[in-house]
Amino acid sequence: MKNLCIAAGLAAASFGFASGAQAWQPTKPVEFVVTSGPGGGTDNFARVVQSIITKHKLFDQPIVVVNKGGGSGAEGFIHGKAGKGDPHRVVFGTNNAYLLPYVAKLGYKYSDLTPVAALALDEFIIWVNGSAPYNDAKSYIDAVKAKPGTFRMAGSQSKDTDQTLTSMIQIATGAKWIYVPFQGGGAAAVQLAGAHVDSNTNNPNENVGQWKAGQVKPLCVFSPNRLAKSEPVFEGKGWGDIPTCKEAGLPLETFQMPRTVWLPAEVPADAVAFYADIMEKVSKTPEWQEFVTRTAQTGRFMTGKEFTDFIAKDDAANAKVFEAEGWVVK
Amino acid sequence: MDNVASLMHGFSVALTTHHVLLMMAGVLLGILVGVLPGLGAPNGVSLLLPLTFSMDPVSAIILLTSLYWGALFGGSTTSILFNIPGEPSSVATTFDGHPMAKQGRATEALSFAFLSAGFGAMAGVILITLLSGWVANFALKFSSPEYFAVYFMTFASFIGLGGASPLKAIVSMGIGFALASIGMDSVSGNVRLTFEFDALLGGVSFLIAVIGLFGIGELLLTMEEGLKFDGVQAKVRIGDVLRTAAKLPRYWLALLRSSIIGIWMGITPGGPTAASFMSYAMAKRSSRHPAKFGKGEPEGVISPETADHAAGSAAMLPMLALGIPGSATAAVMMGGLMIWGLNPGPTLFTERPDFVWGLIASMYLGNVVAVIVVLATVPLFASILRIPFAIIGPIIVAICFIGAFTVAAKPFDIWLALAFGIVGYVFKKLDYPIAPLVLAMVIGDKAEDAFRQSMIFSQGSLSIFWSNPLVSTLMAIGLILLLLPLVGPVARRLRGRTAARTV
Amino acid sequence: MITRFWAESATAVATMVFGLVIVKGALEFGIGWDSSGPQPGAFPFYTGLLVALASLGTLAITIGKRFAGSGGLQEISLDGEQFRRVAAFFLPLLGFVLLSVTLGMYVATILYLVFAMRFQGGYGWLPSLATAIGAAAFFYLALEKFFQIGLLKGPLEPLLGL
Repeated sequence: MKNLCIAAGLAAASFGFASGAQAWQPTKPVEFVVTSGPGGGTDNFARVVQSIITKHKLFDQPIVVVNKGGGSGAEGFIHGKAGKGDPHRVVFGTNNAYLLPYVAKLGYKYSDLTPVAALALDEFIIWVNGSAPYNDAKSYIDAVKAKPGTFRMAGSQSKDTDQTLTSMIQIATGAKWIYVPFQGGGAAAVQLAGAHVDSNTNNPNENVGQWKAGQVKPLCVFSPNRLAKSEPVFEGKGWGDIPTCKEAGLPLETFQMPRTVWLPAEVPADAVAFYADIMEKVSKTPEWQEFVTRTAQTGRFMTGKEFTDFIAKDDAANAKVFEAEGWVVK
Repeated sequence: MDNVASLMHGFSVALTTHHVLLMMAGVLLGILVGVLPGLGAPNGVSLLLPLTFSMDPVSAIILLTSLYWGALFGGSTTSILFNIPGEPSSVATTFDGHPMAKQGRATEALSFAFLSAGFGAMAGVILITLLSGWVANFALKFSSPEYFAVYFMTFASFIGLGGASPLKAIVSMGIGFALASIGMDSVSGNVRLTFEFDALLGGVSFLIAVIGLFGIGELLLTMEEGLKFDGVQAKVRIGDVLRTAAKLPRYWLALLRSSIIGIWMGITPGGPTAASFMSYAMAKRSSRHPAKFGKGEPEGVISPETADHAAGSAAMLPMLALGIPGSATAAVMMGGLMIWGLNPGPTLFTERPDFVWGLIASMYLGNVVAVIVVLATVPLFASILRIPFAIIGPIIVAICFIGAFTVAAKPFDIWLALAFGIVGYVFKKLDYPIAPLVLAMVIGDKAEDAFRQSMIFSQGSLSIFWSNPLVSTLMAIGLILLLLPLVGPVARRLRGRTAARTV
Repeated sequence: MITRFWAESATAVATMVFGLVIVKGALEFGIGWDSSGPQPGAFPFYTGLLVALASLGTLAITIGKRFAGSGGLQEISLDGEQFRRVAAFFLPLLGFVLLSVTLGMYVATILYLVFAMRFQGGYGWLPSLATAIGAAAFFYLALEKFFQIGLLKGPLEPLLGL
C-alpha cells in the first residue's frame, strides 16, 4: 500500500499537478476491454493508453487487455454490462457505445455503461482517387449529383460511422452514391487507390499511406477547424492544408468520432473520478500527444458534463440519420 | 538490381547480436504460443505489442515476425503429434502428419514439415525481395469480384476430392458455411443467427471448432479403438532428421507447386489457411497414387506446410506496401506499425528503407534461425509421445479446453469445444468428411462478403464476374477445377478402354 | 449395442434439425434478391436448406439400404467394450468441463489430472499430485504471469490470494 501511494504521488508530481488523496484505488488487475479486433483503431487506442499508464506507473495494478470485437464491438460492451458494479473493467470504444443499440438488436443498452472520458476526436475526410478530375469537394459533389446512383462510396462496415456520414452528405446535398461496405478502413483505402470506387470517407490515418504515394487525394475535412499543421505529406501539402468542408461550401460542418472510455453501470463515483483523472494524465503525456499527432486525430479531453453533453448532441445527430434511413431496430 | 543492394543494406541492419537474440527469443516464444491451441500467433503478437512501444521499430518488427514464424512452426508440431492444429493454418498438416506419427514416423513427419516450411518461407521472401513493386501494383487490381473468384478457386480445388458420400460432404460443408455466417454481417450491419444469444455475437470461432473436431474428436476415437497412441514409441535419433532432409529434394515438384500456391494466396487475400488447404488438394489431385493421402503420405505434409509458410511470409508484402493485412497476424502487426509511427503504403519502401529492408533481411535470417531451433526441438517433442497415454491424454484434454478458453475468454467456448468434439467423433466414425466443414468456416463468410460486395458494385448483375480479363481468368480456372473431377473419371475410363483394346 | 443403422439415422436427423434451425434463423431477414444482390438472410437460408435436404437424402439412403439389407448397416458401430472405453474417457472429460465453469480451470485441471492418473492410470498419489499441480502451475506461470491472460477462475483462487 505504501509503494502504491508513493507511486501515485510520484506520478502526480511528475505531471506537475496534485491529484490529492485518492478515495478509490484498483485492488486487483484491471481489465481493458477493447471493442474491436486486434489491430483496429480502438485496439491501438487502448494499447497506447495501456503503454502510457505502464510507462509512467499511473497505477500499480497490472493491466490485462482483452479484445472483444464481435458484433462491431457489441460483444465488448455486453462484457462491460456483465461486470455491473465492478470498477476493474474498463471498456474502450468510440461513439459505437451509444449508437450500436439503435441499429442492431443487442443485449445491452447505453444505460448499462458509465461514461468516463473521451481522449480524442478522430476526423473524417472525403477522399477521391489521385487521378480523379476533382480538386475540391464542390466539383465532386456536383459531378455525383449530375449522375445520381453511379458513383461508389467505400466505407468500413454497414450502418457505422462511414455510412452514417455518407447519408448525412446525401441528405445535406442531394447527391446519391452507391455505398459499398468493406471489412475496414484499410480495405476501403486500397479499393480507392485501385480506382474500384470513386471516394471514401476514411479517417486521416487510414488513408495516409496512399496519400503519400499520390494514389488518393483529400478534398475536405468534416471538422469545425482545419487540422493541425503538419509536415508536408504529398506535393507540399500537409494535414493543415486540407480545407474544412464548410470552407469548401458543403452544408455540413462537423462529423467526428470520439475515442471513449467507459465503466460498467453502478460503479462507485470515486472509481469514475479515479479513471477520469488517470485518463486526463494520459492525455497530457508527450507520448499521447505524439500518438494523436501521428494519427492526425484531434486531441481533446472531455469528462463529466462536457462529455455527457457531447454524447447527447452526437447521439441526437446520428439518431436523426438512422431514423431517416430506416436503420433503427424496434 | 536495386532491390538486391537494398537487401544487402537490410542485412547490415538486421545482422546484429541484439537482433539475432531477439529472433531467437521471438521464435521460442512463438513455438510456445503455437503449441497451445487457441493461443495463436495473432494473440501472441498482440500480447507482445506493448513491450515493443519502447523499442525502435526495426527491433520491434523483428521480434514480432520471429514470434510469428515460431508460432507457425509450433502449430505444425501439435498437428502432427496430437492431431491438434495449434494454428488454423496447420489444419491441413494433420491429414497426413498425424497418421505418420501414429505409424511411428513422428520424427520424419516433423522434419519434413519444418524443412518444407522453411523452403516455403524462403520462396515467399525471395519473391518479396525481387518483385515487391510489381506485386504491389498487381494487388491493387483486386476488388471484390476478384476476391470472390480467389475464394471460389479454393473451394473448387477442394470439392470432389475425398471419396466420401457426396451428400455427407454437402452436409459437412453446409454446416461450415452456416457456422461462418453467425454474428455480425458486415455487408448489411445485421446480427444474424445468434437467436438472441449474446455468446454468439462474435460468431463461432474457427479455432474452437478445430480444437473440438480435431483434438477432442481424435482423442475419443483413439480411446474407442483402444490404441493409446500405439507405435509412436519409436526411437528418436538425430540421424533421422538428417536422413529425412536428404529425402526432401525428391519432392521438388511438390515444393515448387506449393510455394507458388502459397505465394499466390499470400498476395491475394486467400491467406495462409486457405493456401495450405488448396495446396493439399492440388497435391492429392496431381498425385499418381491419391489413395495414399490421408494415410501418412509425406507429400501430404510437405505440400500444406510449404504453402502455409510461403503465404505467411508473402502476406507481409501487401501489409507493408498496401496496408492490407494478408493474415490475422499481419493485421495485428499493422496496428503495431501505426503505433510506431509508420504508415504502411507504397512509399514506405522508399521512405523507411532501413525498416522495410531490415525486416525483409530479418525474414531470411529469422526463418533460418527458426528452422534450426525447431529441428533441435524435434527429439524433445517426439519424445513427448513416449509418455504413457494415461498421463499425456488427460493433459492434452486440459490443454485443449484451456486453449479454447484463451481464444476469447468466453466460458461458452468451453462448451462449444466439447460439442465440436462429439461432432468430430461421430463424423469420423460415420465417414463424414471434416475438411469441407473447416474450409467453409475459414473462407465462407469472406466469400459471402466478397460476393455481396460485388453485387452492390454491379447492382445485382452476375456479369461482373466476367467483366475484366483478370476476374474472368480466375473464374475460368475455378470452373475448370470444379469440373475436372467430373471429367477425370470419364477420361480415365476412355483411356482404360483404349489401353485394353491394344492389349 | 448401437448398430450403424441407428447411428447413421440419428446423425442425419440431427444435422437435418441443425439445417432447419439455420433456415428459421435466416427467415428473420430477407432471403430474396434485390437491386443490391442477395439479402442478408439468403446465404444462411440456402445453406440451411441444403444441409436439411442432404441430411434427408442420407436418411432416405440409409433406410433404403436397411430394407434392401445391404451396406452392412447391421454391423455393430459401437460394442459394449468400446462404449465402456469411450465413456471412461468422456465422463471425466465432461466432469472437467463442469468443474471448469464452476470451480475455475486451475482447480478443474488439478482434480481432473489427479483423477485420471490415480484412478484410471493406476499411478500412485505422489506422481499424480505432482503432475497435476505441476501442470496447473505451468499454466498459471505461462498464461497468467507471462502472457497476462486470465483463465476462468472459481471461488478458490481468491482465498489463496492468486
